[in-house]
Amino acid sequence: MTPGSAQCQFKMATHMVRFRTWNRAKSFGTAAYRRYSSGGGYPNVSLSIPLPGIPKPVFATVDGREKYETKVTTLENGLRVASQNKFGQFCTVGVLVNSGSRHEAKFPSGISHFLEKLAFSSTAQYGSKDEILLTLEKHGGICDCQTSRDTTMYAVSAEAKGLDTVVGLLADTVLQPRLTDEEIEMTRMAVRFELEDLNMRPDPEPLLTEMIHAAAYRGNTVGLPRFCPMDNVERIDRTLLHAYLRSYYTPERMVLAGVGVEHDQLVSCARKYLLGVRPVWGVGTPSSADQSVAIYTGGIIKTEKDMSDVSLGPTPIPELTHIMIGLESCSFLEDDFIPFAVLNMLMGGGGSFSAGGPGKGMFTRLYLNVLNRHHWMYNATSYHHSYEDSGLLCIHASADPRQVREMVEIITREFIQMGGTPGEMELERAKTQLKSMLMMNLESRPVIFEDVGRQVLATSKRKLPHELCDLISSVTASDIKRVTAKMLRSKPAVAALGDLTELPSYEHIQAALSSKDGRLPRMYRLFR
Amino acid sequence: MAASLQRLGLAGKYFINRTCALTRPIIGSRRHRATEAARQVVLNVPETKVTTLENGLRVASEDSGLATCTVGLWIDAGSRYENERNNGTAHFLEHMAFKGTRKRSQLDLELEIENMGAHLNAYTSREQTVYYAKAFSKDLPRAVEILADIIQNSTLGEVEIERERGVILREMQEVETNLQEVVFDYLHATAYQDTALGRTILGPTENIKTINRNDLVEYITTHYKGPRIVLAAAGGVSHDELIDLAKYHFGKLPARYKGEAPEMPPCRFTGSEIRVRDDKMPLAHIAIAVEAVGWSHPDTIPLMVANTLIGNWDRSFGGGVNLSSKLAQMACQGNLCHSFQSFNTCYTDTGLWGLYMICEPNTINDMMHFTQQEWMSLCTSVTENEVARAKNLLKTNMLLHLDGSTPICEDIGRQMLCYSRRIPLPELEARIDAITAQTIQDVCTKYIYDKCPAIAAVGPIEQLPDYNRIRSGMYWLRT
Repeated sequence: MTPGSAQCQFKMATHMVRFRTWNRAKSFGTAAYRRYSSGGGYPNVSLSIPLPGIPKPVFATVDGREKYETKVTTLENGLRVASQNKFGQFCTVGVLVNSGSRHEAKFPSGISHFLEKLAFSSTAQYGSKDEILLTLEKHGGICDCQTSRDTTMYAVSAEAKGLDTVVGLLADTVLQPRLTDEEIEMTRMAVRFELEDLNMRPDPEPLLTEMIHAAAYRGNTVGLPRFCPMDNVERIDRTLLHAYLRSYYTPERMVLAGVGVEHDQLVSCARKYLLGVRPVWGVGTPSSADQSVAIYTGGIIKTEKDMSDVSLGPTPIPELTHIMIGLESCSFLEDDFIPFAVLNMLMGGGGSFSAGGPGKGMFTRLYLNVLNRHHWMYNATSYHHSYEDSGLLCIHASADPRQVREMVEIITREFIQMGGTPGEMELERAKTQLKSMLMMNLESRPVIFEDVGRQVLATSKRKLPHELCDLISSVTASDIKRVTAKMLRSKPAVAALGDLTELPSYEHIQAALSSKDGRLPRMYRLFR
Repeated sequence: MAASLQRLGLAGKYFINRTCALTRPIIGSRRHRATEAARQVVLNVPETKVTTLENGLRVASEDSGLATCTVGLWIDAGSRYENERNNGTAHFLEHMAFKGTRKRSQLDLELEIENMGAHLNAYTSREQTVYYAKAFSKDLPRAVEILADIIQNSTLGEVEIERERGVILREMQEVETNLQEVVFDYLHATAYQDTALGRTILGPTENIKTINRNDLVEYITTHYKGPRIVLAAAGGVSHDELIDLAKYHFGKLPARYKGEAPEMPPCRFTGSEIRVRDDKMPLAHIAIAVEAVGWSHPDTIPLMVANTLIGNWDRSFGGGVNLSSKLAQMACQGNLCHSFQSFNTCYTDTGLWGLYMICEPNTINDMMHFTQQEWMSLCTSVTENEVARAKNLLKTNMLLHLDGSTPICEDIGRQMLCYSRRIPLPELEARIDAITAQTIQDVCTKYIYDKCPAIAAVGPIEQLPDYNRIRSGMYWLRT
């Protein structure tokens, strides 16, 4: 026995004595004085004491600044390979496909939702999802697939030395899925459950986001539903999935991105597994892909819903009506994207009761002008959604159904006030916060992966974090004024959920947003 | 570009979601490259450096050269040190920390943090109180100065105390709508009845209404002492700089107690139950747990492997994910629940090991049956293959969780308080590697087999078997 563990035993013994005096009989089974397990060679040394016989670790040190450099190589078939170095022994590698719900125009909606759930199921080489997971576990890895309106991401985080296996597995997952009847049936069930949960959750954010997109881009591209409509769950089958995959899962619409890997190695893996491979659905013709550009229409989507009892437990949640009002901003490819991101930060907001201390945006306009002044409002939050061809800046607000009209006016007035010159202090603060948020998000490897992948997918290159910071620093008050003026010329998109008796008409909201002060037209009622 | 500039980025979270939300990885560490019993192993991670100041305050940090950092104070004090009368003080104090100091008004503090693009946050658990800041690395000195200011010079003004009562009562309402929190508070209330761990962190309403300045001052003078505090940091931080800052700003913290140091009262576990039946609720929320061990007990690690063997599942995962868990397979095939999570919550000298489930009213009985069946097979017949896979998964989840300065800083702070050191990675791996199916069977038999569980159930729970029937599912009659 080593001195360390003897000391531990001693400590345990004193512990035990104190326990005995404190509690009379053996009415409880505290582990502290149980005998350690006898089985096997499992060491019974307290975690507070170093285990004897462990080799001495030699740690790495950071030598100066990390070199931020994203390398991109395009293969002969058009597939792009992008990589970024990072300290650490894990890597995140994945395939991003320019495919999402916005591409479902010629198909029943919900295909991308299905593909997300079907990802990492059986493939030509792997008999089941379980085999895939087992293979990854050997390299300390996990996998995940996420679909958004415009992109599908298949990603794996694993030890960097397993790169070859990981890329092989990704290629098989993306290009050779079996899509068996059983798997599709399972997916139908999972999708149904997800839709049910979505309607049960007290948090309406996902539903509202879906509605505002449908209102802003009526019937086209990013306005198409991101979640599979219930009616389509039975309709989607392998034939349909293959037809879709044939049109969209083509090499020139894909990026293989890696963070924490050597670029040359990643490229050679890509050549090995992603070049000259015939996908299971055969070869598509690039022309069959839907090339439509997002058309901002504006409009309103209303969902009357009884929200008086949304609590899942015995404690009631107050009945709320939720609205979201949005206007067209710009695509993330335009220069104005950065001023819009600053504007979104400047508006900020959140819940009237939210956890977290200073730093959550307490001096943003939606806190100062809205939540701090109108205590009856439950939420006021600004969101910015941006895509390759359009964007949407919107504000979500919620309050008691009887105060919906007042709430709408408060929000429309905030939109009008965005057109004024922002104060120097608030602008500086918003810019600093945007930069810190960017850098803090990019601490995490999966976020870097997504950033590299999405940028390369859209532009074939990556703006590095410090370049983005420089762009943010150079935003001026007149930039904010200019982009707001442009935004205010668009037709509003409105989503409303809950008891909507007091909701002003769309025309009135539109009138408010094209007025000087953001007020709704007066309504004269004879009997109030 | 869009992804990293979204205000609410989802991306960072998705790999973490799969690890059990209830068991924050209890010991996290990193994986080394070679497992051979070499004299030395080379790691591609920075070292955690630890220095103890003269007054006992410990400074621990890991420098990864990032442009941003997390720095915080981990204090060995939480609701467990309270009694019936002052239960809620630790949490009240956490609220008061941002309400102004002798140097800064509340407004000054808020403006300073927001203008730096930093974040200041705090939380209280049953055994720990944590204050931490995230900031640009260049702002580290200011962040440390602010942390020092809020825990040493808080004015604790009467007006602010009165105002904060309302805020805390509101927070209480918020907590009550979160059923998972409600069920876990009930679980503690029954498992640790009549002891400090059985009380809630927020404290009862009467206490929130009556806690006064004296209570707060007394709590600080009793507990905020050098040896019970760890200053932890990760991201772009230089250890030497951090030591200098700590000496300057925390040097005056008292090291010793005038009288006797406060003792941590032991907390007795009682197998028992709380049922709150409410047939109007759509789903039943149930937690069942046996008594496990404290943080530093060597059996913690086999219990975490056992925890991974049971796993967690959500019905929107579908059938594929997490198939390494047999219970997930059964839950999925039999449509037995909406979700379940296995948990292992540790305290200094005790812990709760169990399962939290959300079920439709008519599947409770089956779900409970299969849960206990799985528990029994852990005790009697778990195989080497299953254990090997769970060990691997546990390592993976722990390692992948340590991504970004905040999770790493949390890990350093928590480990320093729990183990007085950060367990080096090769050691952690060696400890996990030493586990065999026999270890799992022995350890599970010791803590689960034929033990009285604590149960908390809320909702339409008519179908939940009575206590004695559940108790009789904790052993198998062998022929």
